[in-house]
Amino acid sequence: MSITVRIQTHTTHGTEPELKTLEPILKTENLWKLYHAGKVEVPALRGVNFDVLPGESVAVMGPSGCGKSSLLYVIGGLAQASRGKVLVDGNDLSAMTDADRTKLRRHKIGFVFQRFNLLPALSAKGNIAIAQYIHGDGFDPHRFDVVTKMLGLEGRLHHRPSEMSGGEQQRVAIARAIINEPKILLADEPTGNLDTKNSEIVLEMLRRLNKDLGQTIVMITHNPEATAYFDRVVHMRDGVIVDGIPAD
Amino acid sequence: MMRHFVMRNLFHRPMRTAIGVLAIGFEVMLVIVIVGLTSGMLQETAKRIEGIGADIMVQAPGAQIFFTMSGAPMPAKIAERLRELKYVQAVAPALLQFSMSGGVETIWGIDPATFHAVSNGFVFLEGRDLQGPDDVLIDDWQAKAKHLKVGDTYELLNHKWKVVAIVEHGKAGRIFVPITTLQELVGARDKATLFLVKCTRPDHTDDVIAEVKQLLPTSPVRPVKEFMTLMTSTNIPALETFIHSMIALAVSIGLLVIFLTLYTTVLERTRDIGVLKSLGASKLLIIRSLLSETALLCLLGIGAGVGLSYLFRAVFLKLFPTLSILITPGWIVRAGLIALVGALLGASYPAWLASRKDAVQALSYD
Repeated sequence: MSITVRIQTHTTHGTEPELKTLEPILKTENLWKLYHAGKVEVPALRGVNFDVLPGESVAVMGPSGCGKSSLLYVIGGLAQASRGKVLVDGNDLSAMTDADRTKLRRHKIGFVFQRFNLLPALSAKGNIAIAQYIHGDGFDPHRFDVVTKMLGLEGRLHHRPSEMSGGEQQRVAIARAIINEPKILLADEPTGNLDTKNSEIVLEMLRRLNKDLGQTIVMITHNPEATAYFDRVVHMRDGVIVDGIPAD
Repeated sequence: MMRHFVMRNLFHRPMRTAIGVLAIGFEVMLVIVIVGLTSGMLQETAKRIEGIGADIMVQAPGAQIFFTMSGAPMPAKIAERLRELKYVQAVAPALLQFSMSGGVETIWGIDPATFHAVSNGFVFLEGRDLQGPDDVLIDDWQAKAKHLKVGDTYELLNHKWKVVAIVEHGKAGRIFVPITTLQELVGARDKATLFLVKCTRPDHTDDVIAEVKQLLPTSPVRPVKEFMTLMTSTNIPALETFIHSMIALAVSIGLLVIFLTLYTTVLERTRDIGVLKSLGASKLLIIRSLLSETALLCLLGIGAGVGLSYLFRAVFLKLFPTLSILITPGWIVRAGLIALVGALLGASYPAWLASRKDAVQALSYD
């Protein structure tokens, strides 16, 4: 299903709105995710319908336990949907095997986590390079330089995570997530472990990625101030999208 | 990149890596040393038998090639019958007695005259030949090991012997006493463990063997020159089983240590495995990285094991100069392969477990 959107484009006649038809890069249809606690089924997602357009930045907000992280994991292919559909760049994740979802993650999705999740044995450079290695195209020095410069990591590349501040670690995690030019960047409360100053730096970087490079971003956050950096804010409650209703 | 990742992971926990390396090193050393000690002793014994200079050895029916533990079941007078055979130049009976007093010793009871006729005599480094009933000859290695010199008293089999000479090593045994005294001491009067036969010419050996086999059809009769090839663990009953048991024990130690090391590694790296999965790492890649890490750990362990083996041999031979540990390239390679296969087997289950981890659970692991 396509979506017709009015977007601002530059034409020979000056700056004027133009109608364009865009296919969503990410789409969920009646998405359910059930967890099992013994014999009891606990629904984390209850029929989520959610679209993200290419180049869009979306913040997902909601109280703890509302299903935000579950949504992120399912649309990122880390968890299997219980019911419904997840389409990423036209690929239906719900119909894929684990191996196929792994392959899709490798090529189309980048993750940034709240706890940075850098590999402690590797330097910053190693943490970024391993993503390139797993991607399969080998080390691309040009792309590496562009990304690390953009994230201001040039001077920290040979440091290990334990030798870096939280802000620096998160910037390395962002670099690792975007080094292979994924179609979608999924961020799970990326500022949750950072102070205000570092949070602003990270959010600004995400905004620049979106505005300058057209990177599609879906971010989960508790922080209402963070939503100011995003095109759209989606609210969740009790496993469903409740757009238009304030989440808190 | 994979090599770099594996190396970094390996050295991220240096203590654990060091323990793993030492465990594998110990396993490799155990295999090399056990095999080296048994084959070293066998080879050394064989060399000494060949060094006697006899052409044929006749043993009692049912006797084993490694005759250290043999008793004295043959009448010594068989020597007379053997001397009468065609092409036989000399025959020397010998009584061998195993002694555990003050170490593992094999005492050779010989008649000096006949033994010299077969072997062309000892090379005396010091002292004189056996004359009195309580005289003992020892070779230079034994003298060094026991700190003995000519004139000293040497107690063996609860009997006080007088060291009358130190001879060059490499002929038969390390301790020689008069056969008659030994026969009395062990209650084997007029008995012998074996007979050494010297032919008039070495090319008559086969003819003499055929004659002896006619005379003593149930006795093992062997050309002495074949002793080196015959003296292997496969020809010694139970020795092969002993070696296999020791190797199995060593492999079990290595396998268990690697299993535990990798299991704790996988537990500790649960979150890292989740991260690798989020980056799109396949199960195969996760297994490969852990098995590569194990293989690298094992290679370091093999190196340490070889080094430890030589160190052990040096210390061991300093303490027990009469024993021998034969370290061969063939067994170094075999011990290495055994360790590698054992380690990879030990690592395979934790690696498989890691590859099957749920990515979401792994990422939320504390």
